[in-house]
Amino acid sequence: MATNHHREGSRIGPSLLLLSVLLISSCFSTISDALSVTVNELECVSEYVLYDGDTVSGNFVVVDHDVFWNSDHPGIDFTVTSPDGNNVKTIKGTSGDKFEFKAPRSGMYKFCFHNPSSAPETVSFYIHVGHIPNEHDLAKDEHLDPINVKIAELREALESVTAEQKYLKARDARHRHTNESTRKRVIFYTVGEYALLFAASALQVGYIRRLFSKSVGYNRV
Amino acid sequence: MTTTTLILIVASTLLGFLSIPIYSLRFDVQSGHSKCISEDIKSNSMTVGNYHVINPNENSPLPDSHKLSASVTSLYGNSYHSAEKVESGQFAFTATEPGDYMACFWLPEHNPVITATVEFEWRSGVAAKDWGNVAKKGQIDGMELELKKLMDTVNSIEVEMFYLRDREDEMQQLNVTTNSRMFWLGFLSLFVSLSVAGLQFWHLKTFFERKKLL
Repeated sequence: MATNHHREGSRIGPSLLLLSVLLISSCFSTISDALSVTVNELECVSEYVLYDGDTVSGNFVVVDHDVFWNSDHPGIDFTVTSPDGNNVKTIKGTSGDKFEFKAPRSGMYKFCFHNPSSAPETVSFYIHVGHIPNEHDLAKDEHLDPINVKIAELREALESVTAEQKYLKARDARHRHTNESTRKRVIFYTVGEYALLFAASALQVGYIRRLFSKSVGYNRV
Repeated sequence: MTTTTLILIVASTLLGFLSIPIYSLRFDVQSGHSKCISEDIKSNSMTVGNYHVINPNENSPLPDSHKLSASVTSLYGNSYHSAEKVESGQFAFTATEPGDYMACFWLPEHNPVITATVEFEWRSGVAAKDWGNVAKKGQIDGMELELKKLMDTVNSIEVEMFYLRDREDEMQQLNVTTNSRMFWLGFLSLFVSLSVAGLQFWHLKTFFERKKLL
């Protein structure tokens, strides 16, 4: 888009406006909402990072359903692979964590969840790619105000708050599942215990009565 | 003047494209299998999504084996979008029921097993709002639009905090009732076991007295 510097003042206005809006829109960040996916063995999600040096942050939480983990459950593994094929980030054997790293170069990054156990798990994850225009971008175009940098920083700070909220929400959901399962187990085991106690006692009494019944005879005792 | 307006028109369409942040997710779907992604959407919030299959060969059209079927259903089973054997699609609706909405994609059976890459974009809440429209209607310029977006984000953060607080309150209630139940159930267990033992004892005693053994 060519801007002709010989134009009159009234005509520069709209093109300047457009340029500034286009440049502002180029400082956009990529967001994923907190999505859940069921991991059977390996589940990978790819996300595109637009600029070098962008900060990729996010979190993931394994939301338990019916299968509740013992303390010796292996957890799930999380790996991030850069477009070159290097492992940028690896987290092993966890039920949920936050992560943040600086993307060395732009391209397609792969976020993989690996489930070592046989039971499928549901993972709720959130990935955010944030870009803050730096001095290099500022120098490249004189229409980009330093205030845009501040706005981008503010946006990134708010995004980190939103990310934390999503993490807390996912952890709260997991906690709720655990508590509801505890409650169900308490009721079920207690009622089962009473039933078993009654049954054992009835069996005992029945057996003793049979031992002393006339058909068996007293001598057998 | 005409060149300026032409540039304006071209740039405004570009603007409509660029001002929507490019955030999309890519995942693989194998033929005969389905892949589901779910998201928790609040009631009365707008949600927008679109998906398309990445063509393995740029020049030729997408083969039929790569065309997938998609569906978006709510937690209660209501379907908000469904498509069969398409290359791409989109959906937009206002979520009336709060809860988990599931978007499922599956490829038809094929021999040999092929893997198709799907690019999927799903936004809800603040991110789903059509900011290009808002900018055009209110004649707002770049910086004000950015600040408006930040304002919306802050509002949604506040709403989310209230939701988290309510959930924590509910959990606390649940835990308190579970705790008190366990307390009473402890006493009940003691009472039940003592009464069973007592009943057993009394029953056997009367039984043997009847049998004139005691």
